[in-house]
Amino acid sequence: MSTTSRERILAAAKANKPEELPLPIVPDFGGEATIERFTTVLTGIGGTVVRMAGLDELEETLRQLFPEARNTTSPLFRGTVPVNAQTPTGILAEIDLAVLPGEIGVAENGCVWLPEANMLHRALPTITQHLALVLDHRRVVATMHQAYAQLPNTGGYGKFVAGPSKTADIEQSLVIGAHGARSLVVLVY
Amino acid sequence: MNHAIRADKFLLDADRTTWHDETLWFVREKRDRAVYAVPEFQELRELASGIKNHTLSRLDLYLREFEAAAQANGVHVHWAADAAEHNAIILDIIQKEGATRIVKSKSMLTEECHLNPYLIKHGIEVVDTDLGERIIQFRDEAPSHIVLPAIHLKKEDVGDTFHTHLGTNKGENDPQRLTEAARQHLRAKFLAGQVAISGVNFAIAETGAVVVCTNEGNADLGVNLARVHIAAMGIEKIIPRLSDLGVFTRLLARSATGQPVTTYTSHFTKPAAGKEMHIVIVDNGRTQQLGRPDFRASLKCIRCGACMNTCPVYRRSGGHSYDFTVPGPIGAILSPNIDMKKHSSLPFASTLCGSCTDVCPVKIDIHTQLYKWRQVLGEANEIPASKKWSMKFMGRVLASTRVYGLGGQFARKALRLLPHGLTHAPSMNAWAVARELPEAPKQSFREWYAKQPAPAAAQPAQPQIPA
Repeated sequence: MSTTSRERILAAAKANKPEELPLPIVPDFGGEATIERFTTVLTGIGGTVVRMAGLDELEETLRQLFPEARNTTSPLFRGTVPVNAQTPTGILAEIDLAVLPGEIGVAENGCVWLPEANMLHRALPTITQHLALVLDHRRVVATMHQAYAQLPNTGGYGKFVAGPSKTADIEQSLVIGAHGARSLVVLVY
Repeated sequence: MNHAIRADKFLLDADRTTWHDETLWFVREKRDRAVYAVPEFQELRELASGIKNHTLSRLDLYLREFEAAAQANGVHVHWAADAAEHNAIILDIIQKEGATRIVKSKSMLTEECHLNPYLIKHGIEVVDTDLGERIIQFRDEAPSHIVLPAIHLKKEDVGDTFHTHLGTNKGENDPQRLTEAARQHLRAKFLAGQVAISGVNFAIAETGAVVVCTNEGNADLGVNLARVHIAAMGIEKIIPRLSDLGVFTRLLARSATGQPVTTYTSHFTKPAAGKEMHIVIVDNGRTQQLGRPDFRASLKCIRCGACMNTCPVYRRSGGHSYDFTVPGPIGAILSPNIDMKKHSSLPFASTLCGSCTDVCPVKIDIHTQLYKWRQVLGEANEIPASKKWSMKFMGRVLASTRVYGLGGQFARKALRLLPHGLTHAPSMNAWAVARELPEAPKQSFREWYAKQPAPAAAQPAQPQIPA
């Protein structure tokens, strides 16, 4: 069934395609690779940026930001719930706060690259009630072109995260906290 | 039934029509603000168009490259020639898994293939998890916009629907509280989902990965909790390289909603350990469209919806008036390829103002294609006889100076002498249904001009120097 469909589709695509056209070269475009720009944009789309002098301030900063978080997990410090790729859904669903290392921040749109290797479990960044991403200020680039140029590959799974989960599906009213994390804070050191 | 008749129904509620019009224009304005903030935006459109044109010109080769890379990643790749095969493949995967509970994120392709009713008929529970899609699923309606599926509804409608289906308080219309109710309801569905179906925004030939863009995070949550992920994509979703996403991710959300980027831009490359990932590659008329030189550029579409938000006809007629999976200007050039007879009125649902073409992030010549479809439909005899004959008649009149002059004289007289009830009879003059005809002048410009004295020989203009 699908072998013949495969052949039919490929043959039709080959027969019907236009004469070959060149693949354009995409320039770098430069841009403003600053933490200030990143902060302005991310704040504008519902995220929060908190500056830390160093990683040693992480746990104290989190205690101040999330005093009520009971179930916490992170590869960076000892949280209350250990999570790995085998953690059952029921336990993941109870996580209040996940603190994960982000790799690259993009100043033009406020997003942060989060590869699978940093997630503990693939569902964790969206199932947690609140998400905190830790970002080295030297890893901020200006544009998506520069972000993709820095990615060695996208691993098995990875994503750019720009702010908290949101929707405007009811009368275009913006509501933060659709299905994924209700808040996103990026902790920059 | 044609577009104009369905639009009439939408227009019965004038307040709602005005609200719909203004809301979509507001989205268009947000798009403009986001676009103007990027100095190289026009260059990005040109690059995106070039990348898509190149990809279409090597489509078979990129599809092969994509398939090989995906298979090397441990992904099962399936090919479906049409909607029926797409649906059968997906049902087969679900049944092999022994699953009955499916969570689904947004996919216009599965809408196009009518997957949901097919699965439900086979005893599968399908839950649309995008909030807008869940709302219209409860109401048993089709999406009226590809990015904002429930844009035809007011919060009171959603409140009523949630009261019926989710037990929210009667009269609860607050978007925040309604969204929270949906979040709680859908969490339970996510946690219980056995198979997750997603659409595909971009498929990267180089890496075999599929990229899915959402704001709600519903694709990520569904896919990463279920054991099996099925991603359904049309053949035109291919892009060559990972780095090409730099161009497309900068264009998509800005064009769609005026956001700098979607909240989640997720790259699904390999299944997690112990899990399965399937990609279903669908033709369903796309290779035929590729073979139409005038219309193949429609395959460059990245489904941002900008052409709908800007379209004066879409904004005032609503998505359902198109009666096609993809409404608006882009739907009006895609639909005749699928069924020329059924969708013959859609290329006429346009003023040909060209605003769609101006905002299209991949530079599809939408209004030119609308015009070309009209020619194709005319030649295929798929336009109403009244339109066909009145066009032929006017063609004759406008081709002859003498006939045009006589016709003008006759019309000016008739307008002055005939009663208003006759000149404005809706059955004879559709133009005057909601408009007044102008007062007929006594003479035409040509008649006036012929009576003027011949102008004196032109004098070279002297500069005016003040004394």
